[in-house]
Amino acid sequence: MPKMTNLKRILIIGSGPIQIGQACEFDYSGTQACKALMNEGYEVILVNSNPATIMTDPEIATRTYIEPLKFDYLKKIIEIEKPDAVIPTLGGQTALNLALELDRKGVLKDNKVLMLGATPSVIEAAEDREKFRAILDELKASYPKSHMVKSFEQGMKAAEDLGYPLILRPNYTLGGAGGGIAYTPEEYNKMLVQALHESPTTEVLVEESILGWKEFELEVMRDEIGTFVVVCSIENFDPCGVHTGDSITVAPQQTLTDQQYQEMRDEACKIINRVGVQTGGANIQFAVHPTTGERVVIEMNPRVSRSSALASKATGFPIAKIAALLAVGYHLDELKNDITKVTPTCYEPALDYVVTKIPRFAFEKFLGSKDLLTTQMKSVGEVMSIGRTFQESLMKALAAMEMNIEGVPDIHFSLEKISYPNSQRIWHIFQAFRHGLSIGQIEDLTKIHPWFLEQVHAIVEFETQIKNSDLSESILRQAKRRGFTDARIGKLKNKKASAIKALRDEWKVKPSFLQVDTCAAEFLSSTPYYYSTYWSASDLQKPEKRMIAVIGSGPNRIGQGIEFDYSCVRGVKALQNLGYKVAMINSNPETVSTDYDTSDFLFFEPLTEECVVEIFEQINPLGFIAQLGGQTPINLAHGLVKNGYKLLGSSLESLDMAEDRKQFSKICRDLNLKIPESAVVGSIDEALQHEAYVGYPMICRPSYVIGGRRMEVIENRQELESYFQRHYDFISPQNPCQMDQFLSGALEVDVDLVRAPNWVVMGGIVEHIEAAGVHSGDSMGVVPPQRLKQDTLHKIEKMSQELAHKMNVLGHLNLQLAIKDDEIFVLEANPRSSRSVPFLAKATSIPLIDLGIAAQMQIDLPASQLAKYRWADLKQICVKGVVFPFKKFSESDSILGPEMKSTGETMGRAATYPEALVKAFVSSSLHLPSHGEVFLSLRDKDKIPLLPLFKNLQKLGFTFTGTRGTSDYLNQNGVECLALNKVHEGRPNCVDRIRSGQVNFVINTTSGRQSLEASFDIRRACTDYSIPCLTESDAAEAFVMALEKSKTGRIEVSPIT
Amino acid sequence: MKKGFLVLESGDVFEGLTLPQQSQFPDKAGEVVFNTSHSGYEEIATDPSYFSQIIVMTAPMQGNYGVDSKVWESEKIWIQGFVCVQMQNTKRENTWANRLVEHQVPVLTEVDTRRLVITLRSQGTPWGALVAAESATEAISKANVLIAKQKNQDADWVHLCSRLKIEDRKGRNPQGPRVAVLDFGAKENIIREVVQRASDVRIFPSRTDIKVIEDWKPDSIVLSNGPGDPAMVQVAPDTIKKLLGRIPVFGICMGHQVLSLALGAKTYKMKFGHRGANHPIKDSLLNEIYMSSQNHGYAVEGDSLPGDVEVTHKNLNDQTVAGFYSKKLNCLGIQYHPESHPGPHEATKLFDFFIKNMHQPAVKANKGIKINEL
Repeated sequence: MPKMTNLKRILIIGSGPIQIGQACEFDYSGTQACKALMNEGYEVILVNSNPATIMTDPEIATRTYIEPLKFDYLKKIIEIEKPDAVIPTLGGQTALNLALELDRKGVLKDNKVLMLGATPSVIEAAEDREKFRAILDELKASYPKSHMVKSFEQGMKAAEDLGYPLILRPNYTLGGAGGGIAYTPEEYNKMLVQALHESPTTEVLVEESILGWKEFELEVMRDEIGTFVVVCSIENFDPCGVHTGDSITVAPQQTLTDQQYQEMRDEACKIINRVGVQTGGANIQFAVHPTTGERVVIEMNPRVSRSSALASKATGFPIAKIAALLAVGYHLDELKNDITKVTPTCYEPALDYVVTKIPRFAFEKFLGSKDLLTTQMKSVGEVMSIGRTFQESLMKALAAMEMNIEGVPDIHFSLEKISYPNSQRIWHIFQAFRHGLSIGQIEDLTKIHPWFLEQVHAIVEFETQIKNSDLSESILRQAKRRGFTDARIGKLKNKKASAIKALRDEWKVKPSFLQVDTCAAEFLSSTPYYYSTYWSASDLQKPEKRMIAVIGSGPNRIGQGIEFDYSCVRGVKALQNLGYKVAMINSNPETVSTDYDTSDFLFFEPLTEECVVEIFEQINPLGFIAQLGGQTPINLAHGLVKNGYKLLGSSLESLDMAEDRKQFSKICRDLNLKIPESAVVGSIDEALQHEAYVGYPMICRPSYVIGGRRMEVIENRQELESYFQRHYDFISPQNPCQMDQFLSGALEVDVDLVRAPNWVVMGGIVEHIEAAGVHSGDSMGVVPPQRLKQDTLHKIEKMSQELAHKMNVLGHLNLQLAIKDDEIFVLEANPRSSRSVPFLAKATSIPLIDLGIAAQMQIDLPASQLAKYRWADLKQICVKGVVFPFKKFSESDSILGPEMKSTGETMGRAATYPEALVKAFVSSSLHLPSHGEVFLSLRDKDKIPLLPLFKNLQKLGFTFTGTRGTSDYLNQNGVECLALNKVHEGRPNCVDRIRSGQVNFVINTTSGRQSLEASFDIRRACTDYSIPCLTESDAAEAFVMALEKSKTGRIEVSPIT
Repeated sequence: MKKGFLVLESGDVFEGLTLPQQSQFPDKAGEVVFNTSHSGYEEIATDPSYFSQIIVMTAPMQGNYGVDSKVWESEKIWIQGFVCVQMQNTKRENTWANRLVEHQVPVLTEVDTRRLVITLRSQGTPWGALVAAESATEAISKANVLIAKQKNQDADWVHLCSRLKIEDRKGRNPQGPRVAVLDFGAKENIIREVVQRASDVRIFPSRTDIKVIEDWKPDSIVLSNGPGDPAMVQVAPDTIKKLLGRIPVFGICMGHQVLSLALGAKTYKMKFGHRGANHPIKDSLLNEIYMSSQNHGYAVEGDSLPGDVEVTHKNLNDQTVAGFYSKKLNCLGIQYHPESHPGPHEATKLFDFFIKNMHQPAVKANKGIKINEL
């Protein structure tokens, strides 16, 4: 059947802010689906609360709503837009759950909205574990023995029956949130309470352990008439016990016999038919016993998922696009394979290469949390790489992680890091083989399939061969075929990476570029999607037209995520609009930038100097863009320029001016701009000499420690001494400590602008809601600013432009400023697109990236056009909300500081500031209570300024409890407050009260290290029980403003323009 | 490790490495074909349809999951050579590499199989030889001799692969029909699928005289898969012609092609054939679209089929004839492999169609009825 003609308007629900377990893969799927449906002539209504996405760019859909993904807002949008249908399968678990709720509460029926792709009964059959198991029974499919537990008592019985270890899987949560593996009764009891709490239906599946079984995933598609294809099979390198999102995975599967694989395929087909997925994509996970071959079903998702993104990139099969087209009635045989153009879409891709995905983690950001992988996902991003062999693919993926240029450096070996699954295990396995451990020993410890271990072992054996032999052409070629980086070969031979590169050039040991063609070269294909390999002659000819290369942002990590993919994708479009051909280079499978139809040439490659230079040698670009992919391309720029390639936009000198503290200070001084006082000291004695000059409070951080670790705010001499004592090992005259003046209580802002030789456009000024000291990525923000004076804003605009001129910026400049007592301090300058660019672009409708490209290409724009871009003329107030992953990292502290910890952001748009705040909070899944108890624990300096707030809350009907000091103060000042014990004062204490569910939200401000440690349990209890916990007085004020507003119950929505 | 070469008739030479345990390299010639299946190397190598062929696997990693003689599709390895990028070859016992070496099959690894596939795709299926040599020049001269010799064999490859003696199998279904199988180089799984559904099964050599078949009084006949050019098959087309319209005939792959010849249709050599486990089929008989396992270098010209035979199965990749059915003549031809092994299982239902829809209920109830009386 061709497409449905009775439909005109289709609603697509996005997945909201980026969080662990639901990240930018849904931007990829939503964007692809929107494009496909728009192409078919449908009107697409898109709702997503995440402004950093490409899908919320106004061109992608007919109407775009950046609104909270909550029932009330969706209801309102449906009533306004009257869509004919909704596709709920493209926005992850969030969209699926929301669509179910809309259905259950009659909104879809009342507004005559069809649900396409998956009906409520399908979603329930797959997601409700009890129903799903009944289906498996009917199909005679096995699954791990388990009990559905609805209370603690039932949980105890289940444990008795199943024995330890046990796996807990809460119903209807994403990324396995709230679940895990319990090895002991103590662990189990604790986790059970948590898991019951996490499940929206208070149901937890307690499952017998299948730890050590091989784990597989099939990405499947089905159309309305039942045509079924497996797009991709994926095998986990890590056996069962590690969430598949946290596992190293390989496609296609490698260790199943055809018989085993076909039986799995049959079962997948039966399950998807029986569950009733009428159209679209789904994935099913299986476990297979390593020796008996016994197979069990782990779970199924009746929607496009994280692995769909991976499978799409791994095979060239555009799953999300096809899923959308199937949803509107097409059949698989009616759609053409985009890549071959001649064969139909009902096929199963044949791969003549191996794909490896490796997750990237952020444990170092969450002190106290153990680097231990379980069934609850913890990774924040991933890389994918393509190689002709598994070895080449694995080694390329390890290089793509951007952690070490050698890819597989020598490390300090720890057996413990092998025995327990953790983020570093793969490197320790390499090291174990270097130390002579056997494959059998590692297999015993890890249960990783020996085939994988043999492959790693062979790589390590080859290292020895490189070390012990003269570096001949043959050895070098073999090393490259095994995926060794020049840097690693150099290390083994005591040579520089550049010397290895020179040898390769001399001996013509160069990579070829092969097409990802879905068919193992069986059919001709013209799609320019390439990967490099040393195993084959090239498919890629020197392109006729010279192009511009855009370097992407690599694996998502905290601090560098989807916002840079937005910049890249938008930048590619802008360049194409100027008539250029564009090559995109990236290593992140979750992104839109790695869709083969985003750019003219896609290179799925590690973002290392070596790999990018090889691509450049092949395509000889006119120039490259480094401003769009965050810090990754900026870091590559020097090396690429040294190799003779042209950096477009701001020059290396401009970049250096921003990066080099000394140069930057000088520029600021020349322009009469203030910067915080600072000093660099090698010891406590030196620190005390500069103490007065820098002044308290100050921020101390050891240099040469990555990611802002050990960065602390120091309030007095005692703390300074303590700091140097505690970090003694990390501070020395060789590795000095940086002391910066801390502008306590200052307002911070983000400024984004674009400068060309002859023009400047202000992108806007985002005023942070939290005071200085909280990382700009973690603080909420608002545009236009609500607290800064008009005069100050003018000053900021003026000085930002002066700075841009002085640095000779061409393209983007992001500044972070602090304003204290009307004085402006420059904290940081980033001559590149920034996290705030997509937010500002959506808020102001100024096409910042397009302008940035124009500036980098040094194009003059007419004054009439420039005059249109007035950031401050906003009709709507836009508030940035923030999402944190603390819940996933037990024992981590939710206190905010100078080190970024958030994974995603939301946008609240409304006519008034309080309404925008409400939307930003709600979008970030902070519950706004309408009444109840507020627990307070405040530092002294916040008590007086916050008093009016409490009086207001009292008027709104809230009651108070507090620590003794806080409650005394409140009671003395006419606000009734019940005093509770602090944790060390005995029980019952305030934490007991929070954990027992009596508290609706918490305001907890602290100063100094001691009070921070003392109040940790309070914040942790809030994290565990999803109770809002405000740790900054400014944030508390904003929260209360939102509470007050939300009590009015008024909901308004509007599309962006 | 020693160098080895794959030399194509056209003069193209692909270099690779021989296995260390195959220092006595068994130089061999054959048609060079590629297969895009991800798994199933053992089933493929033991499928008689690959007789006289050098098989190039597009999936780069081979031998990963070892060996298991239970999945063999016949009693021997038929291929003339095995070419891939990388072969699992560690100290494990029972490796696929060792198995091939034991059976004197030349193995060439580290070959640029992608270039090779593109060459095969554009040249059509050429002859070639796998040889160990010091240089490409030496390889070419060695290869030419081997190729010439190999080409010189009997053109009826089916005859070369068919059983020499009649073989009986007890069927698993006492209510089922007596099914004759005409062996063109049958895969074991075709026989297994038939045995599951039949009461008695007798497998006849390809050139068996029709009287011998008739004497056994079969209710129906299955024509198996097999290698080579269907137009070169002797005896069988006439045998089938005589059986058509009298008992149900189900031809698979070569069986399908020979059946078409018996119907008076024509077959032709395809440019590079279909070999893989991902070919989409539109099946109008079962009214389904599904993936199929394929291995054929020849195909049936749809237009040459008689009017009362309907093309019911199409390969959706290139619209070639993938099957036909005639209700009147009670015959079904399927170009691909409903028995799978390797490959997807969806088409297995065609065996059920054959048993349930093509046999008269009377036949099942009244077993052993004489063909002549039908």
